Amino acid sequence: MKTKYIFLIGVLLILGTVLSGCASGLTASSWPGVTADANNAYIAGGPYVYAVNLQTGAEAWRYPAKAATSTPFYATPVLTPDGQLIVSSFDHKLYSLDPKTGAEKWRFEQAKDRWIGGALVTNDTIYAPNADYNLYALTLAGALKWVSPFQADQAIWGSPVTDGTNVYFGTLGRHVYAVNVQTGKQAWVQTVTGAVIGSPVLGTNNTLYVGSYGGVLVSLNTNNGEILKQEKTSSWIWSGPAQDGTNVYVGDASGMFYAFPMTGSGQPWTQQLNGAIVGSPLVSGTTIVAGTETGNIYFMENTGKNVRPVAVAGKIYATPALATTPAGTLILVAPTSGNNLLVALGLNGATQWSFTPAK
Amino acid sequence: MTWDTIIVNPFTNLLLLIYKMIGGNFGIAIILFTILIRLITHPLMASQIKSSTKMTEFQQSKQWQDIQKKYKDDKEKLAQEQMSLYKELGISPFASCLPSLVQIPIIFALYQSIMRSLAATPAQLLILTRAIYPFLHLGDLAPLNSKFLWMNLGQPERVYMFGIGIPVLAIIVAITTYVQSKVTMPASANPNDQGAMMNKMMVLYMPLLLGYFALTFASGLSVYFIAGNLVGIAQYALLGKVNWRALIPGQKPATNALARKK
Repeated sequence: MKTKYIFLIGVLLILGTVLSGCASGLTASSWPGVTADANNAYIAGGPYVYAVNLQTGAEAWRYPAKAATSTPFYATPVLTPDGQLIVSSFDHKLYSLDPKTGAEKWRFEQAKDRWIGGALVTNDTIYAPNADYNLYALTLAGALKWVSPFQADQAIWGSPVTDGTNVYFGTLGRHVYAVNVQTGKQAWVQTVTGAVIGSPVLGTNNTLYVGSYGGVLVSLNTNNGEILKQEKTSSWIWSGPAQDGTNVYVGDASGMFYAFPMTGSGQPWTQQLNGAIVGSPLVSGTTIVAGTETGNIYFMENTGKNVRPVAVAGKIYATPALATTPAGTLILVAPTSGNNLLVALGLNGATQWSFTPAK
Repeated sequence: MTWDTIIVNPFTNLLLLIYKMIGGNFGIAIILFTILIRLITHPLMASQIKSSTKMTEFQQSKQWQDIQKKYKDDKEKLAQEQMSLYKELGISPFASCLPSLVQIPIIFALYQSIMRSLAATPAQLLILTRAIYPFLHLGDLAPLNSKFLWMNLGQPERVYMFGIGIPVLAIIVAITTYVQSKVTMPASANPNDQGAMMNKMMVLYMPLLLGYFALTFASGLSVYFIAGNLVGIAQYALLGKVNWRALIPGQKPATNALARKK
């Protein structure tokens, strides 16, 4: 009898431990987001946002001074034209920091869920997508301009884009929305095959490109949301595509990298890379850069030729960022589960420096 | 072969299959999934209840109480007598524990598959996508629609009234856990014996513990707790082992109520 109750108490304790352990793992699980200005790279790297000097790879500052497990930062930070760094947190708050010092300027606390996608910043407005199914428009001083007067069908994880007339974003509920930049009123909504996790990209001739979890790159007419074209891919697409005016580039989970011509005259091409492609590609002139889950950064020409892999320790889920310094162009890569939080590569693939935060 | 491959992934795929079959309502899928798993493991539970009842009867038997009195100063002899009595009456002291032991990994896997399916963050969604079997063609289902009634199943639940968030589901979880523990608690002849005291503690602490989980974690877990509690009561009721009188305040549960219903 006694054994039985000791056993029951043990079960209770194990149950408590396991449930707590499993659930706590749910609160903070994503990969870093990176951006850069002329001086620093900014990484939303979990418990902290770091500024890293582009010349030396040394830490310039970190925010907050003391990490809180309830405030993880993963969304790509965004710089505003008036000198702010907007960082989004899983703690339901949006923060404005001074990019020079890391000092907090203001915070926005009215959202009800996580900020997973980075914000879009124009000359006078911050458009921030939230997992509470709403798009928020703020002034650059952090005051709410409007919250979309309708709720999207599901969470918004990808950053929005704008052409000055509408703001465009996709949802996990397999829809693409266009809302008026001034009012947030819905201009149109279109259903697509599969969830839209990443950011859409605007092309020429009123075209919007969206990658979907259903394994399709969808082209939409920005005027009315009409689907213009659907390009099938081998597997699901996580992040948004990128474009260089000639092609739209996107990678899928099977490691297949695609270039689809934006006009009828071009030739599509593909490249099989090693490992799933989760982050968006990066375009730097005629060079296209894509990272894979197996820890490779691929440099290739926009013709699909001269594919050069560069091994980086860790898994590459984050979209690489471009930084221009007096010494040249840097490709900033933020690996997950590697030794370094940030690695700076030259356009030739050579490592310039790497950054590991001090504990 | 890992825990995920053998247990959690099959459970997750089954849950997603149910979700797909019922047209994309994850709340209903959790409830049906819980019922299905409880039905599959019902023989184990029935065997556990049977063994518990036998053990309760043994504890309350005059023969055992006489032996306890006789050897109260000789623990070694008491243990020997207890074992020989177990043998004589065909009772296995671990028979009521073993079915519980088998059910523990199932309960954990059930919980983990629900939490995995909810995939509230990018890393979780990536893990979920990898867990889905390709031949089931469920990849286009992910991520799941986590809306159910007034809840987002991936978030802790609150109903806001006058600016105050009321955790309705956590309250229901605590109440149903209390009711389940109370009506299925085996009666004891001696309320001061160690087992009875432990049972009383469980009746008090389990609702608090599960209520706290429901308050803190994703509401999909609360739906699972509530469904599990109600199905648990129904399972006991089907076996005629529910003691509703235990719910009446001031009413002492009939001694050996379980045994009498047998």
